[in-house]
Amino acid sequence: MPLVEARDVSRVFPMPAGPVVALRNVSLAVDAGEYVAITGPSGCGKSTLLHLIGCVDTPSSGSLLFERRDTSQLSEAERGRLRLTRIGFVFQRFFLLPMLSAAENVELPQAEAGATASERRARTRELLDYVGLADRADHLPSQLSGGEMQRVAIARALANRPALLVADEPTGELDDETGEHVAALFDRVNAGGTAVLVVTHNPALAARASRRLAMKSGRLVE
Amino acid sequence: MTSFALAWRTAKRYRARTLLAIAGVAVIGALLFDMLLLSRGLLLSFADLLDSSGFDIRVVSGEGLAARLPIADSARLADDIRRLPDVEHVLMIRIEPATVLATGKPPRGISLIGSSDAEQSWRIVKGSSLGSPAAAAEACPVLVTRPLAAALGLTPGDSVSINVRPPGVASALPAVACRIFGIADFAFATNDELTAVTTMEAFRQAMGGGQPDADLVLVSSKPGAPPGRALRAIAGLRTSLRAYSNEDVVAQFNRNGFAYFRQISLVLSSLTMVFAFLLVATLLTVSINQRLGEIAALRALGIGRPRIASMLLWESALLVGGGGLLALPLGQLLALVLDRILRQMPGIPERMHFFVFEPRALAIHLVLLMFTAAAAAVYPVWLTARLPIADTLRREVLG
Amino acid sequence: MAALALLVLLTVPLSADPPAILVSRQLAARARLAVGDVVTLAVDAGGTRGRQFRITGIYEPTPDPMRFTADRLEARLHLPDVLDLTADPADPASREAVSAINLELAGGAKPNLFASDLMAQAPGIVVRPTARSATDDPFVVLDRFHVAISVVTMVAGTAFLLALMVIRAEERRETVGILRLVGISRRTLLASVAIEGLVVAAIGAAFGILLAYVSEGLVNRVFQARYDTALVFVRVTPSIALRAIVVAAPLGILAGIGASWTLLRREVLTIFHR
Repeated sequence: MPLVEARDVSRVFPMPAGPVVALRNVSLAVDAGEYVAITGPSGCGKSTLLHLIGCVDTPSSGSLLFERRDTSQLSEAERGRLRLTRIGFVFQRFFLLPMLSAAENVELPQAEAGATASERRARTRELLDYVGLADRADHLPSQLSGGEMQRVAIARALANRPALLVADEPTGELDDETGEHVAALFDRVNAGGTAVLVVTHNPALAARASRRLAMKSGRLVE
Repeated sequence: MTSFALAWRTAKRYRARTLLAIAGVAVIGALLFDMLLLSRGLLLSFADLLDSSGFDIRVVSGEGLAARLPIADSARLADDIRRLPDVEHVLMIRIEPATVLATGKPPRGISLIGSSDAEQSWRIVKGSSLGSPAAAAEACPVLVTRPLAAALGLTPGDSVSINVRPPGVASALPAVACRIFGIADFAFATNDELTAVTTMEAFRQAMGGGQPDADLVLVSSKPGAPPGRALRAIAGLRTSLRAYSNEDVVAQFNRNGFAYFRQISLVLSSLTMVFAFLLVATLLTVSINQRLGEIAALRALGIGRPRIASMLLWESALLVGGGGLLALPLGQLLALVLDRILRQMPGIPERMHFFVFEPRALAIHLVLLMFTAAAAAVYPVWLTARLPIADTLRREVLG
Repeated sequence: MAALALLVLLTVPLSADPPAILVSRQLAARARLAVGDVVTLAVDAGGTRGRQFRITGIYEPTPDPMRFTADRLEARLHLPDVLDLTADPADPASREAVSAINLELAGGAKPNLFASDLMAQAPGIVVRPTARSATDDPFVVLDRFHVAISVVTMVAGTAFLLALMVIRAEERRETVGILRLVGISRRTLLASVAIEGLVVAAIGAAFGILLAYVSEGLVNRVFQARYDTALVFVRVTPSIALRAIVVAAPLGILAGIGASWTLLRREVLTIFHR
């Protein structure tokens, strides 16, 4: 049984100049523990697909099931709960809160999920150690490099032990070497049993996935 | 990390705008506080002034306080009032316009007060009271206000000539030679008031003889007497009279003389609240627009709308609360300045103030600021609640 | 015309051709009077020595800001009629007495000098120019009060504008850095933020003036209805509008420059460092 399954989903964006079909009848299933990479040119709809699977957006048609629940039947609060506890999101631009330290950024989703202070501290230490930044716990994002910020973002995404980690161009703002370190981190996350779905331009990152899919003009191509 | 802590960190991170916003709220909050003080300040001050005179009942003719017409047979009335069990002290007053002539100076129009009690507590600044032995021996002993003394260069011991000019009396009254015994502060005198007070006997002479009737009888009740009993007893003595407690006088002043300040207080209070609301709402909205990517990311991570709304409410509360706290000492300072300006108004007793602190004003100020903080956060919260997460993330990447 | 102390109004049947009087609009409304009505006026409630008059006109009392809360229940009579009504029959001189005489001086005469001269020549009378001096005009004081309020409001508005311009400067940090990198001078950038501040302040002032013009009518209507007066409470004049813009413009420039000053002073590469 797939962890997440998109069945014939389309996404249309109404625009002043006319509707834009970003996704056309896309079907995709990601199993628990699987590592999937989606590649394609800019504007092909891969981020749109990622947003649908990450329950950040809802399809215009078709259905999206997460752990056999139809996400279009869920309220925004229920989808938010899914994102908080079952899905971890990593962004191209990191989006760490600039006024919080690395540790506080990692603690934030845990606090929202209701973890106690001691639980949060323990888990945060574990995660920052996992991503190799235990000694930078009290540093603000402005005091971290791009690669370090992305590692903190990955730690944050893993805070509530999600079943699925989705990453939108996670190495897009990083140099090759740093990107390599982040890619290795995704390997570790997947090896630990978390499913990983990555959207990327980076062939080296895509090559690490167990399944690679390509998109063009809103469709998955063979 | 609580919503308050997030809001606090945000405020600390964007220090310059936070401090400026707090400064803006503090200044406008000070103005709001002052308008609340102004809304009842003059009334409170007037009531305080009335109470401080020591008299709690004022008796006038049936035409009311404004008309101040002579009370017929006021001497007998005063005796009747003195015999009432709840009455402690009675003072008769007659006030008429007069002209004073000092040697080498042009005549000046003044108000001449005749008082039945030479020991009435005018606050003597220089010289002696009308009750002094020397004054008692004088035919027309007079105390003058400071402005009158300054205008005519008068000092205790000087002689002046006073002509009473009561309205409605066509015949010329003879001038009376008077001697200045003291310079005094009168409770209700304005800062430019030209007033002199003398004994009823001297007033009688100035009115051309006969028993001058008082136009105002002041009464003080005995301490501990039930409130209103003396007033009712006095009102029952003659139906042609009107008796007012201090509260009645204040209520009349509130209806007639205070309208402008009440209106300006209401208008400016409303405007300052709108201004504070606009200030904080605009700043929060612009700040949110700057952080849309962050907020969309938080929503994508599963941070719920309630937490984000709570964080914004706290941000608003920090700005308004911080500014509101500063507004209090600033408002007190501003009130001193504004009070000094308004007290230059002619006809305002020198001892009256426009801005008088009362706890009620503080409570209203607090409630209004809380409401403003909540209202200012409404639109930013609505913006974040409606935020299209995916679209925002996409725009942030492209931008 | 003598000031009337107290008159009582009685409407009775016509007896002869009565003299003409005017009544204020407020009195006409309160007592339901119309032009042509015949009324009896007396100085006491008992109607002693009352006399009949015909209302030949209803007038709007000159609005008096000092008495805007007062009920303008007034009537205007010819002076001999007032004297007939109010004179004390026991005092022969009372028909010769008035409470005030208004004078219009010939062109060029100075009221204060005239007043002093007349008082010197006629001891016992008080002569006062109608126009108040700065020391005894309550509206001079109110003007100062309003100026003080507007200064406070401007200070708050300046803080507000500065906060907004600081946010704008932070938003454009990268843009400023890029422009400096490609060679745009600090002076050019400073001029652009100054112009932006000026435009924001000028548009804000213009909007405020427009709002003031629009609300002027509303405020006047509300208070005129509330106090039943023709007094104009708010008037936005071109001079006031100009003053608003003249004050706002430099504040806007200063806010724009002040908010961007730190950013523009920094070395180019440090602008990009967050």
